[in-house]
Amino acid sequence: MASRVPCPHCGLRPKEEFTIKGAALPRPAPDAGEAAWIEYVYLRENPRGAYDEFWHHTSGCRRWLVVSRNTLTHDVYGARDVALGGETQP
Amino acid sequence: MRDSALMRRPAVASEPVRCGDLLLEAPGGSILQLLGKAGATPPSDMSLPEVAGASPGLRNAGPGQWFVVTDRELTGPEIDALAARLAPSLHVVDQSSGRFRIRVSGAPSRRMLAKGVALDLHPERFPVGTATSTLVGQIGTNLARTGQDSFELLVLRGFAQSLWDDLLLMSREFG
Repeated sequence: MASRVPCPHCGLRPKEEFTIKGAALPRPAPDAGEAAWIEYVYLRENPRGAYDEFWHHTSGCRRWLVVSRNTLTHDVYGARDVALGGETQP
Repeated sequence: MRDSALMRRPAVASEPVRCGDLLLEAPGGSILQLLGKAGATPPSDMSLPEVAGASPGLRNAGPGQWFVVTDRELTGPEIDALAARLAPSLHVVDQSSGRFRIRVSGAPSRRMLAKGVALDLHPERFPVGTATSTLVGQIGTNLARTGQDSFELLVLRGFAQSLWDDLLLMSREFG
């Protein structure tokens, strides 16, 4: 598990300050059909390797971030604010 | 709401505590939260004459959000006047009863806080005047450096006694 996360607003912070929501997937169009929406809501890849996830900095700036990390090596590649962008590397 | 006669009780019923060189106090005063959109610029000192004396009076609490901390307790009309000056880009919420202010001072304060804070509190990384929201142990806190060896913590009222007791425990080795 990634232990220190480079928050674009707060700097390097321990993972205890964050709440993890899950995979950051592109949202289907409203009329994309039932199959696409079932996949978006329920189905997850659980990849071994690079993974993008929504992390909420609950005990810090309270912003939603997308954290890019590696589930195999525990490397953290970077994090960006969902609404504001601004990628930061560890 | 502020004009009604509310019973005021301190969140922590404790006098200042000294542990060797460390001093723990509850300075009181007023705490206001400023809420703006992410990317909003902080208000200038010109628009916040109330914070004169407190350092830092304006504390970062995330993008577009700040705490205003004053040593003197502000009156309802003063807060309303401040809110009118900062509108419409920033909203002002009086948090004086919602949050509790704790001051830690003395030479070992950084070493004491390091037991519960996962931030680098070296003066080069966390200089005087900076503030940020973080965890002290498991308790969410806004931590500000008010001097080389002094810090202030803003904590939700319901957690104030817990945090106070934790800080006393963390201070025990120094006194």
